[in-house]
This record gives sequence, structure tokens and C-alpha cells, in this order.
Amino acid sequence: MRVRRHKKDAGFVLIAMSVALVLLLAVMGMSFDFGRIYIARNEAQVFTDAASMAAAAKLDGTDAGLDRARQAVARLPMRWNLGTKSFTGVVVEFSPDKQSWARVTAPDNQVEITFLRAVGGPDVFTVPAHSVAAAKPVRLVE
Amino acid sequence: MKMSRDRRGHALLELAVSAAVMVSCLAGTVEFGYTFYIYNELVTAVGNGGRYAAMRTYRSAAPADIEKGKAAIRNMVVYGDARPAPGTLPQVANLSPEQVQVEWVTDDSGGPAAVNVAIGDYTVDAVFGIFRFTGRPAVEFPFVGRFAPAESEP
Repeated sequence: MRVRRHKKDAGFVLIAMSVALVLLLAVMGMSFDFGRIYIARNEAQVFTDAASMAAAAKLDGTDAGLDRARQAVARLPMRWNLGTKSFTGVVVEFSPDKQSWARVTAPDNQVEITFLRAVGGPDVFTVPAHSVAAAKPVRLVE
Repeated sequence: MKMSRDRRGHALLELAVSAAVMVSCLAGTVEFGYTFYIYNELVTAVGNGGRYAAMRTYRSAAPADIEKGKAAIRNMVVYGDARPAPGTLPQVANLSPEQVQVEWVTDDSGGPAAVNVAIGDYTVDAVFGIFRFTGRPAVEFPFVGRFAPAESEP
């Protein structure tokens, strides 16, 4: 004898699948989007570390030194977003005496969110980074 | 109560469809998650190696000294140590010093101005897929160490 599906049963799998899929999207989003965010954060930090060292090395107490420092930062070929995008809006600041330290901020690194957007997350996530370097750095003896 | 043949068929079909979706999502998550984890480790390793190269004494009495210096930088990227003890494991799975590129940028006087450190060719085996990184991650650090053109590497 053919047994028909109970009315209460009908559509249950669809609902269960939908709920599971939303949860799955959230887990995939955590893995994929957070992964990219952490990488961008790390890439930006390494860039500002190098850029602040490059800027600080050019400081000599003059305005020309500040210009050379800004140019040194602009010349750095480093990229972010898995090595595909150039850094934009980079801010370079200096100590008032123009010879002690340089601070570099990379404020605009916006990671586009792929999966978490589907479950109520933001469209983009900004991961800024900043570093300060002394003009007379510690040198390794070796 | 036993399920009828019809119902069993339905359940099997539903399982097959949902399992296909779930397993492919899981595979993708593992694949990309692991690859991103490895890439992040590579960024950290290359950044640390670049900073070490920037602060290190640049000795260039002979071409062999420059090569010795590069080998120390490669070791720093891979092992976190310029002179690793035998048997030291790499910080990133399957990374070896030969996969790390170190290039000096020299200034007009022939001294070091900056150093480029990059991963030349690295393959991530992420169980469900394979990713290959060539020439990235890459960093450039300015040279701020001591320039010793007459000294030899110890």
C-alpha cells in the first residue's frame, strides 16, 4: 500500500535545509571573510612597519628630509588583499623636531565581505594599521 | 512502524541533495580557510625576514659574503632563526629556504638601499584543492643596518 506523506511532514526538509544553509553561510563567512580580513590586517601592518622605517631613515631635521621621507613611502611597492591592491590614502606624520620619528598610517584598506553579507554582515570591513619608527634604529650586531 | 518504499526513496533523495550541498560547502570552507591561514603565516614570515634583513650588517668583502647574508635571511624567513639547529622545523608547513627570494636594491655608491624578500614558488595542499603562490607575499624594507663593505661574514 502506498503511504502518503503526512501533511505535517511536508516542507519540513525545506525549512530545515534553509536554516542549516544560513548557519552554513555564517560558518563559511567566518572562515572566508575573517581569513581575508586577518590577512589584510597583517599585510597592512607589515607595510606600515616598512614604510615607517623608510620614512624615519630619511629624516634630518629639514623640510627637504620630510619630502624625501614621503617619497620613500610612496615608492614602496608593497600590496595588500593577497598581494593585489596598492595602499591608498597613506598618512605620514613626523615628530615636531623633524628628526626623531616617523609615523605611517594606512587607513583605507577596505576588505569586501563575500559571505557574511548574506547573513546580515557589512558590505566592507576596514582594517587600518599604523606604525612608528625611530630615526636612529636599533641595529643588529650580527 | 516501517517506512514505505516510496518514503524511503524520498529520504534518500533528500539526503543525497542536501549532502552534496553541505559537503561541497564544507570542502570549500576547509580549502579556503587553510589556504588563508597559510598565506597569513607566509606574510608574517616574510615580514619578519624583511625586518631582519633591514637591520642586519651588510658585509660584502666578496660575493660569497653577500650570498651568506642572503642565506641567513632565508633561514630567518623559514625557521625564525638565521642559523637554525639541524632538524629545526619550518614555521610554515613545507616551506624551504630555496623557495624564498632575497634581492638587494643598491644605491648609486653600490651600497644596500633596500631589500626585497618574497616567496618565489609555494604550493598549498589544502586537501580539497591546490593553490600556488608565485612571487607573493612580497615585502620591501629599507636598509637601516650597518654597511661593512670590507668585512666578511663570520
